[in-house]
Amino acid sequence: MTRVHNLYWEAAQKLSRQKLVVICLGIIAVYILVAVLGGFNVLPDYQTRVGAQYEAPSLELAKLLGTDLFGRSVLYKILAGTKTAMLIGVLVTSISVPIGVILGALAGYYGGLVDVGIVWLYTVISSVPYILMVIAISYVIGKGLVAICLAMGLLGWVGLCRLIRSEVLKTRNLEYVAAAKVIGANDLQIIFSHILPNVIHLAIISASLQILGAIKSEVILTYIGVGIQDGASWGAMISDATGELVQGIWWPLAGVVLVMFLLIYSLNVVSDALRDALDPKLRGTTEVAEGDAQFEAQEAAVQKA
Amino acid sequence: MAVQKISLWQKTPQLVMSALLIATVAVPLGCRPRQGTGDTGVKVLDTFRASVYRSLDPPKQFDVASARIISNIYDPLLEYHYLKRPYELVPNLLETLPELGEDKLTYTFKLRKGVKFHDDPCFPDGKGRELTADDVIYTLKRFADVNVNPQSYPALLENRIKGLDEFREKTRQQKDLDYDQENVSGIEKVDSHTFKIVMTEPDPLLLMSFATSPLSIVPKEAVEKYGRKLEHHGVGTGPYVLDKNPRKGVMVLKKNPNYHGTYPTEGESEDQSQGLLEDAGEKLPIIDEIRIPLIEEAQPRMLKFLKGELDSIGIDRDNFSKMAEKVGDQFKLKGEFAGKFNLASANDLSSFYITINFRDKTFGQNKALRQALAYALDTPAYIEKMENGRGHALNTIVPLPIDGSEESVPVKWYSHDLNKAKAKLKEAGYPEGKGLPPITILYASADPKISQQNHEFLRNQLAQSGIQLKAEFLKFSEYLQRKEGGSFQLASGGWGADYPDAENFYQLFYGPNKAPGPNDGSYSNPEYDRLYEQMRRMSPGPERNKIIEKMALILKEDVPVVFLKTPISVGMRQKWLLNSKPNLMLGSTFKFLDIDTEAKAKGLK
Amino acid sequence: MLGYIVRRLLYIIPTILGVAVIIFVLFNIAGEDPVRVALGQHATPQAIADLEAQWGLDQPLWKQFLDFLRQIVTFDYGESYFTGERLSEAFASGALVSLSLTLPPFVLGLVINIVIAMMIAYYRGTWIDRFSTAAAVISMSVSYLVYIIAMQYFLAYELEWFPINGYAPGWDAIPYLALPWLIIIVVSIGPDVRIYRTIFLNEMQANYVRTARAKGVSERGVLFTHILKNAMIPILTFTIVAVPFLILGAFLMERFFSIPGLGDLMISAINNGDFPVLKGMTMYITMTYAVFNLITDLLIAAVDPRVKLN
Repeated sequence: MTRVHNLYWEAAQKLSRQKLVVICLGIIAVYILVAVLGGFNVLPDYQTRVGAQYEAPSLELAKLLGTDLFGRSVLYKILAGTKTAMLIGVLVTSISVPIGVILGALAGYYGGLVDVGIVWLYTVISSVPYILMVIAISYVIGKGLVAICLAMGLLGWVGLCRLIRSEVLKTRNLEYVAAAKVIGANDLQIIFSHILPNVIHLAIISASLQILGAIKSEVILTYIGVGIQDGASWGAMISDATGELVQGIWWPLAGVVLVMFLLIYSLNVVSDALRDALDPKLRGTTEVAEGDAQFEAQEAAVQKA
Repeated sequence: MAVQKISLWQKTPQLVMSALLIATVAVPLGCRPRQGTGDTGVKVLDTFRASVYRSLDPPKQFDVASARIISNIYDPLLEYHYLKRPYELVPNLLETLPELGEDKLTYTFKLRKGVKFHDDPCFPDGKGRELTADDVIYTLKRFADVNVNPQSYPALLENRIKGLDEFREKTRQQKDLDYDQENVSGIEKVDSHTFKIVMTEPDPLLLMSFATSPLSIVPKEAVEKYGRKLEHHGVGTGPYVLDKNPRKGVMVLKKNPNYHGTYPTEGESEDQSQGLLEDAGEKLPIIDEIRIPLIEEAQPRMLKFLKGELDSIGIDRDNFSKMAEKVGDQFKLKGEFAGKFNLASANDLSSFYITINFRDKTFGQNKALRQALAYALDTPAYIEKMENGRGHALNTIVPLPIDGSEESVPVKWYSHDLNKAKAKLKEAGYPEGKGLPPITILYASADPKISQQNHEFLRNQLAQSGIQLKAEFLKFSEYLQRKEGGSFQLASGGWGADYPDAENFYQLFYGPNKAPGPNDGSYSNPEYDRLYEQMRRMSPGPERNKIIEKMALILKEDVPVVFLKTPISVGMRQKWLLNSKPNLMLGSTFKFLDIDTEAKAKGLK
Repeated sequence: MLGYIVRRLLYIIPTILGVAVIIFVLFNIAGEDPVRVALGQHATPQAIADLEAQWGLDQPLWKQFLDFLRQIVTFDYGESYFTGERLSEAFASGALVSLSLTLPPFVLGLVINIVIAMMIAYYRGTWIDRFSTAAAVISMSVSYLVYIIAMQYFLAYELEWFPINGYAPGWDAIPYLALPWLIIIVVSIGPDVRIYRTIFLNEMQANYVRTARAKGVSERGVLFTHILKNAMIPILTFTIVAVPFLILGAFLMERFFSIPGLGDLMISAINNGDFPVLKGMTMYITMTYAVFNLITDLLIAAVDPRVKLN
């Protein structure tokens, strides 16, 4: 097991040596802080009017990013939206990653009918257009934040599941697994204490990608009317901006794009660094980094959704 | 009549309202590449559609997008006067308005002579033949055929014409009934251009059904030749002929040179000075060609209008604040827009309100609580802040341009008063809102952005009196199920006029119309019901208005709904678009419009 | 080989069955009720029953499902509830338009992105690499929607380089499609370049490359002959599976630029509960997806002799 611990320790050291990564981690921490503050309701209420309709940005704190249609502070609205965005990222990931890991591990470890069933399930899911599935699922649950999170979570595990499955397929025949079997460990013990620790880095990388994918998808979903219904969200702000830009009101769009950009950029940088640090296949081996390309393909698919 | 009605515009409250806004005050655009076309003298109207139509076969549609196209290809027997307000029925395919016989039950219709259908391969030699009484009778029977029209029959003709319901029943038993073999006792041909219609009971509002697009006249030959394809084709007597009809691209309508109509010669007092009577008596239509691309997104629509590639456009809430303002009672364009475009506004024929469910145990038996709600809401502020002043606070349920509205019925609704709201709340048993659980309001989230912002506003307002409001945003069919199934507390909703008469709005509170009928809140008051039954058989006039006043006062006391607004639609037109006056009862006003081709060619350069 | 193809095609059947069940269940328990949407408020029970009968929704569910299976076999999904169009016609005309929107930038983007990625890989480790990779990440950090809104506003409206929106049949469509193409390519650069770069870098570490280098082949020569050829395998795997979705088009793009493709047919079908459209579109995509997966595998086998089909 020390092998595994070393990997994470090494990775952490590696990350801390990269200045950009440290800065980006700091930025993410700030967003988390804002989200938590939002959760405790200690941020300024974005519903309050702070000025006239559509005031351009000025140096006053509330009007740093100007005001919106109702004279509310764009900045406060963005801060309130941060909570929503982070919540979406975390919720989606905490649904999809466990499903992906567990199904992937089961399929890879047991093979046979279990494998056939799970492979069939994800083939079916990936054959149905993503948007259609998200909308349909959100209809079942009722529109809103929880619904789109569940929908994205229930659909987002396919890529990770595939990866874990193929990793586990390779691992299960390794000596130490065979050894564990000999000393009488049961299947669950083997999966949890011997196989999973060796593939869990894939889950971490996948999670960092899922978070940013989910935040970006929310924008599109809210725009087409299945996303956030009640409360502040970046997606709602961007879709409002479609009508505003025409009249020369650029600040709500600019503000939310900037704030979203910073977060997504930081997440991108950190997930790249994580991948470099954690994925042993990229560490000087000659093997084709199929997993790596798959992560990026997954991300590209989110981009194009 | 106690029939349940489908309102033409209210299928999905928010969605349809925005479609309406685009369809009426706005006439969208055309998509011409940037090169100016120069003044060729050919009058082209560039407009747009914001959604695809359902069907171009008149009895098979009942939505705004379809009605707008159908009204240009087909004609109903009657229509509303283009310029006069309040809206007035005028003959379209008829010589005169139908005459009511001595028995008060029989109308005699005389068709205009010489009206021709469009030239089409379905006629011998491809030449459109003359319209006769047989066409109307055929159309009425087809309209009643359940296999053709499951939708609009109940709303427009059910229980109104002798023998027609029985005919409909027969078509349900026998799918391909031969219309010629099956007579309807209430429809009688007199000669080639005259027919009679017998009503089941005196019904002053029946004629209004004959001005709706589902009852446009369709020739038998077209149905026989095209069958279901008629949903994407058109053979009528209307002012335009369907030239190109792609599902999503640019639809093109070409002038029907044989059209029978002429431009009205009278209007309202200010119409003369606004140049709306310049073309008085001219042959219609005036514009040669209409181009109707599908543009679903608001941004390209507005960009194209600003570039002059569209002749008119509606202004929504977001655009309004930057482009226009309200000065006193008038709307004006601001700054650079003022010199470039004309502004048009019109009072809508719809009312918006919050329905209170009388089957709900918190509200049903607690009149004081309902009244508290009415005091707690500041509707003028709602209109000011949420709608940039584009609306009126309602005093009665009837929107202003309709006969029997507050202009002839002097009733005042509650005005916002926090102290009174709190006093009523206390009387209701919830001092300062204590003990009152959070109240749930339903929204149909057709336009999530609008419902969400509205909800934020309402929630904040009610909170000031100590009432907590929660929202449920539902998909449309679910919203209907909840409302019509009576499982809700409050529901945001609205009603658009099927025809311009107060009765269409007061039936919303008639006991027998209770949910799943149009009386969503299942309000019931025997005195009100008695007055309604009396009122609906009377012709408009001061006597009827007295009864309406009594009904309005009963509603005020009982508060079955809390009024929000009746909207005002605002739109911009290019300066070269002439003769343009919003008319919300006509499916389309294209045939009256004119274009200054010289100015348009310049503006497009 | 033929046996393999037949076997693979047979594998599609359980997938199709699965998709059919999912769509059927989602529609029946979750979708908008098309009858209620069509009839609007206060429809009479009789009107609801009449319309249900007309659309066959009064049949028992198992019968409706069998009907669905029959439709899958015959490729005939009937007519749209909402517009009454024959779906086979609507799909055929819409698919071509959608393809004209998505295919050119797909091909062009593939070439451009491979060239950029090769350049970056060639200069790996230098400032060019770092700068380009950072630029790719930056471009990926902005929402697709923002690209559309901003580029339409600035390039078409402010600068007047393109028409704002519209469509014309045939070659006349090109001026209208130019801006959407540009946006699709711009959006694809970030994510695609990153993947291709990774693929190239992996290939560069492969043994055959070392051998070639050792033999004295120039770095450029290695890149263009050996590496490019081998890198095409993962690149093809990655890109070809996207082809079925090209037919579906890019629905936001189609809405903003009024391009009459298939893209938003599906979204409006969901909102109207237009089941025939949903069934048709989904099945269509499922099948092309499966077929293109197969084509990818065959291509790879053709390119790479190490891969054996079994």
